[in-house]
Amino acid sequence: MKKLEEVFETWEAVIGLEIHAELTTLNTKMFCGCKLEFGAEPNTHTCPVCLGLPGALPVPNKAAIESIVLAGLATNCDIEKHSMFYRKNYMYPDMAKNFQTTQGPVAFCMRGHLDLDVDGPAARERYRLDDLGVGESDGNITRTEDGYVAHVGITRIHMEEDAGKMVHVGGGEGRIAGATHSLVDYNRAGTPLIELVTEPDLRTPEEARLFMQKLRQIYLAIGISDCSMEEGSLRCDGNVSLRRRGAKEFGTKTELKNMNSFKNLHDGLAYEICRQAEVLEEGGVIYQETRHWDPSAKRTIVMRVKETADDYRLFPEPDLAPYDLTDAFIERVRAKLPELPDQKARRFEEAFGLSAYDARHLVEHRETSRFFEACMEAAGGEAAKLAKPVANLIINDVTAYLNAEGVALAATPLSPARAVELVRLQASDAISSKQARQVFAAVLAEDKDPEAIVEERGMKQVSDTGAIEAVVAEVIAANPDEVARYKDGNTKVIGFFVGQCMKKMRGQGNPKVINELLARRLAE
Amino acid sequence: MTQHLSEHDVRGIAEYTRIGLDDEEVKQMTVDLNAIIDSLAPITEYDLAGVEPTFHPIGDLSNVMREDVEREGFTQGVALENAPKQQDGCFLIPSILGEGGDR
Amino acid sequence: MTASQTFGSLSVRAIQAGLIAREFSAAEVARGTFERIGAADAQVHAFLETTEEAALEAAARVDAALAAGRGLCELGPLAGVPVAYKDNMNLAGTHTTCSSRMLESYVSPYTATCVARTLEAGALPVGKLNMDEFAFGSSTETSAFGPTRNPWDLGRVPGGSSGGSAAAVAAGLVPVTLGSDTGGSIRQPGSFCGIVAVKPTYGVVSRYGVVAFGSSLDQVGPFARTVEDAALTLNAIAGRDELDCTSQEVTVDFTANLAEGVRGMRIGVVPAFMDAAGLTPEVRDKVAEAAVKLEELGAELVEVELPNAQAAMSAYYVLGPCEAFSNLARFDSVRYGYCDPGHKDLGGQYEASRANGFGPEARRRIMLGSYLLSAGVYDTYYYPAQQVRTLITQDYARAFEQVDCILAPVAPRTAFRFGEIADPTEMYLSDMFTISINIAGNGGMSMPIGLGAETGMPVGAQLIAPAFRDKNMLRAAAALETVYGPAPVAPDFADGKAGE
Repeated sequence: MKKLEEVFETWEAVIGLEIHAELTTLNTKMFCGCKLEFGAEPNTHTCPVCLGLPGALPVPNKAAIESIVLAGLATNCDIEKHSMFYRKNYMYPDMAKNFQTTQGPVAFCMRGHLDLDVDGPAARERYRLDDLGVGESDGNITRTEDGYVAHVGITRIHMEEDAGKMVHVGGGEGRIAGATHSLVDYNRAGTPLIELVTEPDLRTPEEARLFMQKLRQIYLAIGISDCSMEEGSLRCDGNVSLRRRGAKEFGTKTELKNMNSFKNLHDGLAYEICRQAEVLEEGGVIYQETRHWDPSAKRTIVMRVKETADDYRLFPEPDLAPYDLTDAFIERVRAKLPELPDQKARRFEEAFGLSAYDARHLVEHRETSRFFEACMEAAGGEAAKLAKPVANLIINDVTAYLNAEGVALAATPLSPARAVELVRLQASDAISSKQARQVFAAVLAEDKDPEAIVEERGMKQVSDTGAIEAVVAEVIAANPDEVARYKDGNTKVIGFFVGQCMKKMRGQGNPKVINELLARRLAE
Repeated sequence: MTQHLSEHDVRGIAEYTRIGLDDEEVKQMTVDLNAIIDSLAPITEYDLAGVEPTFHPIGDLSNVMREDVEREGFTQGVALENAPKQQDGCFLIPSILGEGGDR
Repeated sequence: MTASQTFGSLSVRAIQAGLIAREFSAAEVARGTFERIGAADAQVHAFLETTEEAALEAAARVDAALAAGRGLCELGPLAGVPVAYKDNMNLAGTHTTCSSRMLESYVSPYTATCVARTLEAGALPVGKLNMDEFAFGSSTETSAFGPTRNPWDLGRVPGGSSGGSAAAVAAGLVPVTLGSDTGGSIRQPGSFCGIVAVKPTYGVVSRYGVVAFGSSLDQVGPFARTVEDAALTLNAIAGRDELDCTSQEVTVDFTANLAEGVRGMRIGVVPAFMDAAGLTPEVRDKVAEAAVKLEELGAELVEVELPNAQAAMSAYYVLGPCEAFSNLARFDSVRYGYCDPGHKDLGGQYEASRANGFGPEARRRIMLGSYLLSAGVYDTYYYPAQQVRTLITQDYARAFEQVDCILAPVAPRTAFRFGEIADPTEMYLSDMFTISINIAGNGGMSMPIGLGAETGMPVGAQLIAPAFRDKNMLRAAAALETVYGPAPVAPDFADGKAGE
């Protein structure tokens, strides 16, 4: 099979996403007062409504409607005042009523968009990006210094309910195939779910991944979901088709499921694009089918072929009153809209002089952006001066540590005050960058202030020229042979002198100062 | 009488609604359904241009919602009380391979 | 009280007067009612289940409260009154079968709001009543547990689908029952059995806990032998329920203007109804007579038109099955209900369970609804049917600009004999005068106005009210009651007789 970049020589991929998010931050389900809780004993959060008992009727959760309107406002959607719930009828055992309550042609949120900043290696997935000059546009993208901005349309976000959970028993690894029976737990049934559908505006797996990431950041910022891809509270399906470069017509699409991490989303789409290219290039035909991404086998497999369009017998749900949202309702929700990641990044750039790259990475996670802001507060008058090194510390060292340890920032001994102190020590040349890394590790390991660690270990870097000068003189005097070699033009020997000086100063000399003084004295 | 549905169509509907019918029942159902659909003809003969549908006969009632407040539900025992088959606190069903669910 | 079996033939007020006067206790009322049911219901087969324990518990509470010196108004408007429920209403701990094999062994873990409200009002819950399977029918013949018989003539049907609810009252087994009406299922059996039967405006009574047939059409209402008993019961069950989005605030006292008479009321008569093909002369004559009586009592008769009413029939047979198809999808053998044994795959279990659990009429309506909602067909039937609903609603709105209520036949004929109507489409015609009211959502009721000259069976007059003005029809019904008297217990069951 060809590599993605080879495929892109001939083919253009057209990708659309369907992203489901459970509104896990609410107290109760969509249409009944049962508690929302992940991982509870099976069937302990159930009632007549979510078990679909005969005679039960749904009543919508107002907070869920507020959440979806909030999601729509945060993704530049038009909020539709008039909409209805519909019944989507099909029988499946995890759906207690055997219809899903969802929305019809008009959803609460319609016609939105997100702009993606695609740069670095991610931007290079785009075919022949360099044909575009900075500031030039092609289709829905605009070239930037380091990549491009992609304008991705959002068709709609609609409100619906999640299904229960099934465990398949008797087959291998909980799969349906080979299972002799299944167990159904309706705790999850009726969990409020919002489904966002994008326009087919995405062209690379990276764009899809970035869209998903950005949406996740937004949902986290507005607090409507915990967005755990692992626990399934954020799920993504992708629709992929290929067309020859320059063609206008869409090809036949396949629907890709089980892309339950950012990596799987990228890799699943990349595989499917390459697979389709291979089929087409061998003269084959793409069937409209649902495929399952198997990350361990690194391939997609057919789940089912759609011979005809599904006929869900959709009709307006008679048990639920229609919606006629008032301006007052929408404005009340708008007032709850917090600063969104894009706005926050722009503020960081303007207020602290950060680069766009740093600002964007800081706002990727709520905890890092909050931490950064707390650091800036702790830095007081030095905020502008320390912003860049603090940002670097967070983006590099802190993020790496959190990822490696799998812990939350708040659970570590690193407070904003300590972070600022550490950065300040290094910025004032009190410690070297190497020492700074040691202090960082020690703060986390020993739960002590950076000052105390530096003190304890006698780590203070010596930058005092007088003291260093004495050592330099001593080292030069003690090694006449090396001095001669240096004067013969072997300048590499300077490393030897630096090493000797450092040794004498027990590693506390400022290497920059030592280098300068050595160079000066040896040149005499 | 107009033939709105063939026996083949009726078999398709039976499959979709998950009602198992034998050949004889399909034959009878086809006759019955065609007769009923015939009797619905008046609805197709109305001039309804510009008439808004009324999906909910509830006047101006709209935006009916509840607060996000927990309500006591069932214990596991009560939830499973009517289950034809159960295991490990769950409803037990035979193999679902071949079900056309979109999962 | 000597004949303890006849509590069921007393009015609510008579029972409560007896309780206050200590002529009998609520426990005696309960026990007497069960004796009466035990003696007479074998002929009628109105009951599917009796709930002695629940009734005696409720009775004990009433008796204790009375002994403690509390007044009846404190105890609730139905205190000490035996009430029975159509078997599509959930009462925790009892079966809710909908007269279907599908739910034969289903035991409700919760209680419907309308049932709960009667209990809060002090009623003694005596049992669950037979019906057409899932309310699909007009004769109670589609019950999987055998038909209910009309107490006026055991060879005839009681009507349906709430046949058990009507027959139980007509036979004097209980003074009050609840039924549900989707296209006439309260009013038509009320007419066939000669009792007062009220389908309030859609939204007056909560549907929560009542097994749905047509969600946009279903409405719960009372059966009784007096207008006042029906109104008292309606008071108890009406009003907004936070568990039903389509229920509405009701602040009216439905008994308030029963004694006002009809002087000054404008009552509509629909010529097209009175001249309808299929309306039997005996029914037409009785309804025409009732119109004259109302005029004599001081009402002004006004001819009104409902030009789109003839489309109601086809709209109903589109909307009803569509909603039913979806509502009945939940009966799948997974969480409850009939589960055909021995299947290794769910598909096989689904198909056998639903084929064997549902009767033929249920299967027909489910499949019809599924077809009517399918892609391409939806626009031919379902959507126009909802547009027709708009026209019919407008018709009624216009008519009610001219009149306070409308007088019409309930059913085109009196109760028919078992097996007399076998063709489903012909059976559907028995709802021709009732259906348009469910489509529009306003209130309608059946008021007994004597016996048909030809069959000697009861005839009901339908009174139709504007939406949420249900008191208008109750007021007119109360006036008719002054002429025709309260509904009698069917002769063969009167005075404690157990049927011939």
